[in-house]
Amino acid sequence: MFNYLIRRLLYAIPILLGVMLISFVLSFVVQSPESRARMQLGQRATPKSVAAWLHQRGLDKPRFLNTAKDAPLLDSQFFNHLGKLVTFELGVSDVSGRDLKEVFREGALPSLLITLPAFLGGLALAISLALYQVFVRHSLADSLGSILAVALMSVPAMVYIIFGQAVIALAFNYFPAFGFDLSGWSTAKFILLPVALMAVMGLGGDVRLFRAIFLEEIAQDYVRTAQAKGVSNARLLFVHVLKNGMIALITLIVAQLPLLVMGSLLVENFFGIPGLGNTLVLAIRQGDHATVFASVYLGAILYLMGLILTDICYALVDPRIRLS
Amino acid sequence: MIPVDVTAAFQRGLGMVLGLVLIAGCGNDPNPRPLRKTRPDGSPWLVMYSGMPEEPRSLDPQVAYDQMSRRILEPVVETLLEYHPFKTAPYEVVPALLSEIPRRELQADGSVTYLCKLKPGISYVDDPCFPGGKGRELVAADVHYAFQRICDPKVGCPVFGNLAEYIRGMSQLYERAKKNGDQLDYSEKLSGLEVIDSHTFKLHLLKPYPQIIYWLALHFTAPVAREAVEYYDGKPHTDGPGGRERIRPKFAWHPVGTGPFVLHEYRPGHLIRLARNERYQTTVFPEEGWAPEKESLLRPFAGRNLPLVDEVLFTMFREELPVVLLSRQGYLDEMRVGKDAFNSFVTPSLKLDQKYASRGMSLEKNVELSTFYMSLDMQDPVLGPNLKLRQALSCAHDTQAGIDIFRNGVPPVAQQLIAPGIFGFQPGFRNPYGFNLEKARQLMVEAGYPGGRDPKTGRPLELTMDVNATGAQERQVAEFNQRQFQQLGIQVKIVENTFARMLEKEDQGNFQIASGTGWGADYPDPENFFFLFYGKNFPPEGKNISRYRNPEFDRLFEQMATMENSPERLEIVQKMNAILVEDCPVILEMNKAFYVVVQPFSPRVQNNTLLEGGLKYAWIDHPLREQKRREWNPVPLWPLGVGVALMMGAVFYSVRWNRRLDV
Amino acid sequence: MNALFENLWVQNTLVLAGLAVWAALLVHGSRSERWRRAWLRLRKDRVGMISGCVIALYLGVGALESFQIPQPTGPSLSVLGWMTRGVPREKSYSAPLARTSLSVAKPEPLKGRHLLGTDALGNDTLVQTLRACRTALAIGGITSLIYIPLGTLMGILAGYYRRWVDDVIQYVYSTLASIPSILLLVSILMALGKGLGTMSVALGVTSWVGLCRLIRGETMRQSERPYVAAARALGQSHWKIVLHHLLPNVLHLVVINFVLGFSGLVLTEAILSYLGVGTPVGTPSWGSMIDGARSEFSREPLVWWNLTSATGALFGLVLSLNLFGDALRRAFDPKKG
Repeated sequence: MFNYLIRRLLYAIPILLGVMLISFVLSFVVQSPESRARMQLGQRATPKSVAAWLHQRGLDKPRFLNTAKDAPLLDSQFFNHLGKLVTFELGVSDVSGRDLKEVFREGALPSLLITLPAFLGGLALAISLALYQVFVRHSLADSLGSILAVALMSVPAMVYIIFGQAVIALAFNYFPAFGFDLSGWSTAKFILLPVALMAVMGLGGDVRLFRAIFLEEIAQDYVRTAQAKGVSNARLLFVHVLKNGMIALITLIVAQLPLLVMGSLLVENFFGIPGLGNTLVLAIRQGDHATVFASVYLGAILYLMGLILTDICYALVDPRIRLS
Repeated sequence: MIPVDVTAAFQRGLGMVLGLVLIAGCGNDPNPRPLRKTRPDGSPWLVMYSGMPEEPRSLDPQVAYDQMSRRILEPVVETLLEYHPFKTAPYEVVPALLSEIPRRELQADGSVTYLCKLKPGISYVDDPCFPGGKGRELVAADVHYAFQRICDPKVGCPVFGNLAEYIRGMSQLYERAKKNGDQLDYSEKLSGLEVIDSHTFKLHLLKPYPQIIYWLALHFTAPVAREAVEYYDGKPHTDGPGGRERIRPKFAWHPVGTGPFVLHEYRPGHLIRLARNERYQTTVFPEEGWAPEKESLLRPFAGRNLPLVDEVLFTMFREELPVVLLSRQGYLDEMRVGKDAFNSFVTPSLKLDQKYASRGMSLEKNVELSTFYMSLDMQDPVLGPNLKLRQALSCAHDTQAGIDIFRNGVPPVAQQLIAPGIFGFQPGFRNPYGFNLEKARQLMVEAGYPGGRDPKTGRPLELTMDVNATGAQERQVAEFNQRQFQQLGIQVKIVENTFARMLEKEDQGNFQIASGTGWGADYPDPENFFFLFYGKNFPPEGKNISRYRNPEFDRLFEQMATMENSPERLEIVQKMNAILVEDCPVILEMNKAFYVVVQPFSPRVQNNTLLEGGLKYAWIDHPLREQKRREWNPVPLWPLGVGVALMMGAVFYSVRWNRRLDV
Repeated sequence: MNALFENLWVQNTLVLAGLAVWAALLVHGSRSERWRRAWLRLRKDRVGMISGCVIALYLGVGALESFQIPQPTGPSLSVLGWMTRGVPREKSYSAPLARTSLSVAKPEPLKGRHLLGTDALGNDTLVQTLRACRTALAIGGITSLIYIPLGTLMGILAGYYRRWVDDVIQYVYSTLASIPSILLLVSILMALGKGLGTMSVALGVTSWVGLCRLIRGETMRQSERPYVAAARALGQSHWKIVLHHLLPNVLHLVVINFVLGFSGLVLTEAILSYLGVGTPVGTPSWGSMIDGARSEFSREPLVWWNLTSATGALFGLVLSLNLFGDALRRAFDPKKG
């Protein structure tokens, strides 16, 4: 298994390189460095200040290979950029000049405070609802639940947020409609509503998936044997089926875990939560490519981590993989 | 079978859910906790809660040139002169860092000199960039340093060109730095700013320029401590906590000034927090000049030390919905009424809705010193030579209808380039090429396109309109404008651009019609509007986006720029206005205006549009705010009850169904 | 590229081509025993049939908006536009069935009644909602034209040839999947410019990965089956095996994936509108209507009809697609579901 993991890790390296190349090329196609400079320096900038801006950031160097006479061949934008990322030197934001490591460190906590409870809460809710459906399977409530789950999936995320903000926060005054403050326990009041909304957004799909998994499990032979032995329906479901279903479930969802750090674009923006999702949207709108670049890189690493975690889970569950 | 104690269980459940919400929630106040609860003397610490729609671009006083940056810079970095907060007709400049308004002395060779004296005993805020962390006294050398920075190509001051034309030695200093690889030698003195002693300096102008007084009230000329610029270099230093390496912020994000507030915290995309500068004593609350109806409110403040509040908190709002929500709940102290919130606050007769009026809120209208227009490219082969076509386009645009739809009819239609309140504005003047569809169609015939068609090809004339469309509203505006011109039978194609791409196109003259262009006044003088059409002011150096050139207009501009306000100047200004309106290089739209909803606990102390907030005069009635917030945020319990009931119903259902399954 | 896609006829041709490909697939598939059995099962599935009919209805409305009638004066008019030409245009917002406008200064009498009110520019909301069907269908249609052949082909190749072919294809899609998809979409759209065509290209680039992965797995499973070994033993060429044996056996997965993926595409359009890279000005879409409602919701009286109509229409389509997809899955694979 150890060898297997090493192989997976090595496999991640070329993928990361590919990600960097794609994002680098895209960033130039999307917006030339000149327009980025203009955007940052504002409406009343002069050509001189634009040139100075470019020079400061090394953006007046060649893109891929430096063919100038006395310059080293690899002293180009791409390779300089690559070198920095490999050593985890994320650099500073194009706009505010802040250290990106610090930006990400600061943003990760608020993001996690939203996504982690939403993920866990949503999971718990989805599992209970799926179990409930399986518990009352083939009843009217079961079919209604299935249709409701599909209905929940069919509502755009923005509609949930607009509804939550306008009705729950404003009409009922239960939660702040906006804002965030890291201040111990009272932070809870800021995260409850966004967490609840995020959990509901993913609920439909999850319930459907989990219901299918549990139903598959309940059709297994051991369940029938236990039933014959006189184990009660409830005990059967909540102990045996849940336990075995969870194994299948965990391998499915563990890939999402690392990406939780990246936060949620929509929710963070609507609720003004200073997480990484918010940072990213701001960076896109301001043309802050250093930040966008670093986010893509970070996202790719987290995604690959998720894949490897899934592999580990599979290996733990399925002994055959350990041998290969 | 239903348990007997169902109601008891129900109540217990409801109580638990509610308890959880209350423990975790502690109410719905969205604002972060203030820095302190009370002042040292025990009175409540006053916090003002405000919002910002976008990020500031730079907080370097010599660079910042956008509204959001100015909103932060104004309370943090003080200027040499400032606008009187209450006197707006006409606007009046009063001393801030200077002890009096400098007087001009005409020299024999036609040049002009201003003698300026700084107030003694003003010191910078405490900051690690100063030795021992203690702010030092402000001296005349700081002003000299600021003027050197204006000439520094690396700093990139956007108004260098405007000032260099009038202040002696600036162009030379800039040119020498350019030759030296953009390195400005700061040991070299600027001849236009002569330091006499620690608190006195003389400003030497090449020719008369009365508007220089206004420039001294802009933060471009605000003194800067050299220590701060050198300390905050954006590079890593090993002086972090515990000797660790830390990247210091750049000076552009860490202003160090002498102002009434200190920039305490800046979290991009989230919040900006200003805190009182305990050592501030440059200015006090004015003792006169307010409108009579504000007498009872403002009299008690006269002569008081500034600022009146201890902390200002700006939250970044990228959506409009939360702004409205928080204002209704009393958690925002000032709110600009946006287009969509308008109908909820303002009745058709332009009064505040009774619902809010009864809460003690009130409504105030603000007209900015700005004019917005659509630019037509004068070098375009179709539009440039065809005066009648431009006039027809101008006549076809129903500006009032657009204002009604998108801005609730609040801003006035601009009839002339100069905004109201500025010398030379003619109140009764009507734009002869304002909306008139009949006239527009007639002009199209004269332009050679009867019915919007080119008689040679028989096809409709095609024009493109460049817009900066990012939001839903801008897209709707673009569609509206398109429809205006298509009434003439021509085809208008919309090209959507990003902000940067739009600026690029304006600079290159790579457009036919550019919508959303305009100008907000730097200072209240017609010269600050007419230079937009001065023939030597082409982009990218200048802002003559239409690339308009008219020798007569240019001659009058040069003459008017150096004059003091007088009947002769007024005559020239009116003549220039007439030329511009007749030539239609732009389609005039409006002077930006908006309503502000004023909370009962946060009265509007001043509404001078040349101040960007005037935060040092702002005041909050703390006890009233606490009381109103409690009144405005009742918590209903029935939805919780419904939720709990639904859950219990589901449980009962499942139990009964499952019992049937077992059987 | 954008200019090309802006041409209505090009768009219409593409949509038609997409439909034609689908028809061809269905005809092709209907020859197989498996598909015929699935059809029999599907016919008995009430939910499936109803949702199928709803989808057909949407397709019909979209088609009405797609086909253009040239007009002697001014720009051409779609069939739907021609049918609704009697609906007057107001100045700005008006509530459903209201007699006066929801105007700023003074409510003015309207030119006609509007079942679902009017939007900011005075367009009838119902008409706009119906017209937006075409946008949704065009996005779904053009995107599927790009990603379905790509994903299916790549998936089969990777699953059949294995070895280095599989490695290369896996590498490409792993790399693409590693980039957060919304970022990839936004940057492609910013590079190519806004438009229906470019949006479809961007969506195609990001959505083939899932299909490819699915088909690859299924192809691997099928390749182990005796019929493939038999075909190989008979000396059939690789291409023949891929086209005649493997493709028909994974095609049902493609259909199910497409139907379910379609709903995802429509929902993504709404998010892209929010990020400012949605459909261009003048192209009505549910996403931009929902996006516009962000600020309409802070109005009073509340402008709820635009959000409600767009959400309702979108909800109807996505719900039907999801239910129909489920029904298809049940029909093809009765053991599960």
